[in-house]
Parts: sequence; structure tokens; C-alpha cells
Amino acid sequence: MSHSPVIALFPEASFGAALNCVGIAQELQRLGATPVFICHPGFTGVFAEYGFREYHLRDAAPSSANEAEDYWQSFIRNQLSHFDLDPEAQLPTYVSPTWEAIVDTVEAAEEGLEALLDRIRPDAILLDNVIMFPAIIRAGCPWVRVVSCAETELPDVHVPPYLSGLDPKDKAACRRFEKAYLKATDAAHRRYNAFRKARGLDPLPAGNFLETSPHLNLVLAPTAVRYTRKQPLDEPKFVFLEGCVRSETRFDPPQFPVEDGPLIYMSFGSLGAIDTHLIERMIDVFATVPARFLINVGGFLEAYERVPDNVFLGSWFPQPSVVAQSALFIHHGGNNSYCEALYHGVPSLIMPYCWDGHDNAQRAQATGTGLHMHRSHWTAEELEAAVLALLQDAGMKARLKAISKDMKANPGTSRAASAVLDVLRAKVRAG
Amino acid sequence: MAETRRNARQNHLTLAQQIINIALERAMKAGDHLPEKLFSDICGVSRTPVRAAFRLLEENNILTRREEEGYFLAVSESDDLAQAAQALEGLEQSLADRILSDRAERRIGDVQSVSALARKYNASRHSVLFALKILSQDGVATQLPGRAWAFQPMLDSPKAMDESLAFRLILEPQAILAPGFTVDSKKAGLLRGQMQDILTIKEGRITAAGFMRIDTDFHCFIAECSANRFARGTLLAHHRLRRATQKDAAVPDFRLRQSLEEHLHILDSLEQNQFDVAADLMVLHLRRSRIRRPEAANRGIPPLIRRPRA
Repeated sequence: MSHSPVIALFPEASFGAALNCVGIAQELQRLGATPVFICHPGFTGVFAEYGFREYHLRDAAPSSANEAEDYWQSFIRNQLSHFDLDPEAQLPTYVSPTWEAIVDTVEAAEEGLEALLDRIRPDAILLDNVIMFPAIIRAGCPWVRVVSCAETELPDVHVPPYLSGLDPKDKAACRRFEKAYLKATDAAHRRYNAFRKARGLDPLPAGNFLETSPHLNLVLAPTAVRYTRKQPLDEPKFVFLEGCVRSETRFDPPQFPVEDGPLIYMSFGSLGAIDTHLIERMIDVFATVPARFLINVGGFLEAYERVPDNVFLGSWFPQPSVVAQSALFIHHGGNNSYCEALYHGVPSLIMPYCWDGHDNAQRAQATGTGLHMHRSHWTAEELEAAVLALLQDAGMKARLKAISKDMKANPGTSRAASAVLDVLRAKVRAG
Repeated sequence: MAETRRNARQNHLTLAQQIINIALERAMKAGDHLPEKLFSDICGVSRTPVRAAFRLLEENNILTRREEEGYFLAVSESDDLAQAAQALEGLEQSLADRILSDRAERRIGDVQSVSALARKYNASRHSVLFALKILSQDGVATQLPGRAWAFQPMLDSPKAMDESLAFRLILEPQAILAPGFTVDSKKAGLLRGQMQDILTIKEGRITAAGFMRIDTDFHCFIAECSANRFARGTLLAHHRLRRATQKDAAVPDFRLRQSLEEHLHILDSLEQNQFDVAADLMVLHLRRSRIRRPEAANRGIPPLIRRPRA
């Protein structure tokens, strides 16, 4: 490659995927490529702050700030109670309407995306999403699928169904969930396949919204928590990543009025931050625990008053830098958060809300790298006991230390960037 | 007299914390020499206060002194240095600082009585009243009719940050454009040197506190050079509030450096008497700083951005 290859990264409109891609882009840049970002409306500036050029998808239905806030308020009203349901019960209440909304997003983005790709003319495209945008395949360059939600996105007999949170050995429950999942996603899937057909793409099997790439698939699943598959995924088309931790601003913990105890970081992502009532309940418990708590409350800082002396609230933390200094990470099971905890050898207390959070919570419990707890069904004593048990679990600490050492020896960001450039080199060799 | 001594001690303490941050940013190790002149240049103060700050750090076992050689770092790991910085902060944190810090971290409410604060801090009513008067001088607290005190809004949430930037977008360019803007060349040179020095720091090692300090120094400099006394006073009070309470400082390294470069371009224009260009560059700088990440995002849902866009 004589020129600096342009790699267009297209993460979905969520912080997990966006920041996962920032980590890969930082490495691509270090290796001489030119990473650029295709942004969903609302993500303007997120990538520019890390020094990357942005291309913006048009907002299909521009809404005012007030309309967006109304939308979120209504979302909170309607969905909060659903987050307390088990994964199977969430299929009709949360998963089905979310897939409908995702298909809407794909349909709305297609024309603008095609125009942007025509303008960028990338040498390769990285798609970190749960659904295919036909314009990506139609662009004609190699495309890379980033599987960053959970390994369960790629089915196998020995892997539990996607979003189920099930133990793979519970075959009857797995079969029941699969059946319910197909039913819940059927309408959105039919609509999506019709759209694919109209854009010249083959239909996908029921329940599947994204094919694997014929060029490269980057799977964010560290060795320590990976499933043993009946049908192993073939290298080099499937490359497993040992975390995908971006380089971030250095974080110096604030001074607390109470300076005793280990540092605990809690973040339920920007979605989880909407449940201010739950976080207030947790803060009440934390006030009695001999530890210092950093809590990410997203855009809802103004909802809190009377913060205890051992608690510090923030609307944004440079997470990788904070996790590295923490003794425990309480999170919602987002794969990025879970992998950052593993990367730094920190135990996870996972309280999932929805989607892949259930799968990662189950996996953390099964692999002895964390504890799975219902997000709101607990007493103060139970929450306190869970926190203290994780802080005192020497066995888990030793296990995580070894995992962290292995992951840091083979960072996912470098592995991902090298694999992408290998695809381009192979293309050049093939002429 | 006692108050003067307290203020001097406080200044040495602030300078000592600044020295630790510089050592952290430069990844200095135990045994590294801290030349007085270098730190005097970086911090933009004479050697005398640097020497006093070095003594304070020596008293706290952070530096060691060797006869006729000077001061050397006694702490090795960056974590130890960060802890030393915190310990230093706690060493002489005044009641006013504690109240302000608790207020910024939402540990105390909007309206407080002197007796409630006296109970919380186990302090006399006289001490609390004195602390509140210090805070009122900085515009952070105001006495209400009766015995209650009200705290001003803090810069602690995305909404407050956005309002602050919107306010500064109105006033800072006008402070430059007001007739009579006079550049203090000596101070401009010092600031330029300090910012260029920060730009040489290794990637990812610029501290949020270090950046906040130079950022507020630069914007205070702009206010101080303005000939419009009301713009000057209002902006200086606002920057004091920012320095005391602004929390959302976790900005990626790239943007921190870009901001410093923008400051340098503004300084270039000011020193060339191109005030209109400097004012435009200030608008660009503040608009870039105003671009915020969405407050909430999730697949299938439009990201939540609650601020009005300029």
C-alpha cells in the first residue's frame, strides 16, 4: 500500500460501539492508516474530540431538543418497568420494538450513507452494529464486521441464544427462548428482508439481521470468557479480540471527605443513568459501605441532592482510566464495560437492564469473573453483601490478575488494526 | 496579619500542588532534580514562592533537599505522587474550601443556614460566617434576608456547562472588541511559554487539573486586558466560579491540545493588534468547546441532546 488507506468506521449510535471503534481507530492511525468516522445524528463531535475526521448522516426527521427530550421522557415512562423483566419476558416488550426501531434507522440512513460512502471512497469499512446497512455491501470495498455486543451474536450449538442470558447447558430453556425470539422479531425481520431485497441484497435467515463478513470479523470476546464452540470460527476471517480498550485522558480521583476504603466505580451507561430513582436507592446503600464510590449519572446530575461523603457523582468519566484504578466495577453488562474490567483485572458486579447485558452477566458469573445480580430486586443488605463479597474474593482477584496480564500482552486494538490492514494487503496482492 | 499569613500559606500550597502536577505530567521519577528556575518559568512566578513551595513539599516528604544541589523528588510512582497531591490538599483546606467542595459535589443543598453548616462541619458559627463571607466575595454564596445563605449555580452538570459557554460566547469576544483592549505583553509571554510547555507533555499525561488551571489563567488574562470594566469584572467572577466548581473536565487528550493551540492562535492575533480576528477565533474556540456528546444514547433511539444549539 503506497498511500495511507482510508478506513471508514461506522459504529451504531451507542457509546459502547462508538468508543470501541475509537480504540481501533487510534491503532489504525498509529499504523499509518487514515481512520474516519461516519456519525449518526447526535454523535457530532464525539470522534472529533479524539482527533478523527467525521462525516455526518443526515437526521431523517430533524427534531428539536425539546422533542428529543419528550421522546426520552416517554421512553423512560414506558420502558423502565420492562428492564426489571427477565430476558424472555423482555422479548415482546423491549426487544421487538427495538428491532423495529433499528430497521427504521437502517431504512432512513441508507440514502445518506450511500452518498457519504461515495464521497469518502474508503479502502475498507468497519461496521460495529447489530444490523447490515445495504449501502456498505454495495460500496464494493472490503467490509469488516465488529462483533462488540457479545459472542452470542454468532450462534453455535454450544453458545446460548443471543440476548437470552441463559446457561448453554439448559437446552430446554434455550430452545424455548429461540422460539420466542423468532416470534418477537418476525415482523421486523420480514420488513428488513423486504428492504434488503429492494436494495439488491439476499434475504437473511429468520432472526438474523447481519451476515458475517467474507473479509474479516472482529469478535470482542477475550479468551478467558470465550465459549468452546462445536463449530469453531475459522481464522483468519474471524479474529478474537482480547478487549478493545482505547487510550484515554488520565483520571485523578477526587478527594472525598471520607478517604477510607477501596475505590468502586459504577456506570450503567447513558441508558441506565435514566433510572435516577434506582441510583438514589443504591447511593443510600453505598453511604453505609466502607468504600469510596465514583458514579456516572450521565446527563442527570441535577436530579441528585444530598450526596454522601463517600460518593462522587459525575456526568462523564474517562472510563478505562477510572476502571484501572478501581477495586470493583458495578455495571450493566455492556460488553465494552465488561471487557475493560477484565482488561484491568477488576471484578464486575453486573446488574443488566436489557440486550447483551443479560448474556455478559451470565458469562461473568459462569467464568468466576464477576457476579450477576438483578438490577432492582434486592434489599440494602443484599446489595451491601454482594459488594463486600466481591471486594474480599481473593480467588476471583487472582484469576482476574492472570486474565488481565494475558489481555494486556495482546491488546485487542492492535490485533484489530493489524487484521484490517492485512485484509487490505491481501486485496493488493490479489490485484 | 493572620489573614495575610493564611493567604500566603494558601498560595504556597497551591503552587506546591501545581509543582506536583507538573512532576506527574512529566513522568518524573524519584531522585529527579527540580531546578528552581525551570519551575519558576513554568509556573510563571518568581523563585521565592517556588522555594517556599519546595520547602512545603520537603516538610511533607515529597521532596528532599541536598545542600548546594537543590531539591529532588522523593516519591517514585505516579500513584504516590497523586496521593501526595491529595494529602497536601487536605493539609490546610480551609472551611470555605470544604464548603465549596461539598457544594460542588452536591453534598449540601442550595440554601443553608449558618447553624446547619456549623453542625455539619463541627465548627463555630463565627468560623462558618467567615467562610461564607469568603465565598460571597467570589460570588459563590449570597446572604438572604434573615440568617440563610443561598449558593449560586455550580458548573457541575452538562446543562450548566452549556449555559456557561453560551454566556461566554456573548461576553468574551465583546471583551476583546471593546475599545481600549490592552495586551499585557509580559503576561502574554508567560502564558504562551506555559501553554507551549504543556503541549510538549507526553500523550495522555496532561492532567485535567493542569489543563483547567492554564485554561482559566488564559481566559482571565483576556478579561483582565479588556477595557470594559463590567465585562472584566463579570468574566473574572465567572472564571473564578469555573476554577472552583467545574467538574466535567474529562476531555480527550486531542481536544485538550487543540484547545491550547486555539489559545495560542488567539494570543498571536492579540499581539499583532488584530482584535477582530482574535474575537472571531475566540468564537470558534468556544463553539468547539461547546460541542458536547449526547447525554443518552441507545440502539434504536435518537440520541438525547438537551441543550439548545448555538
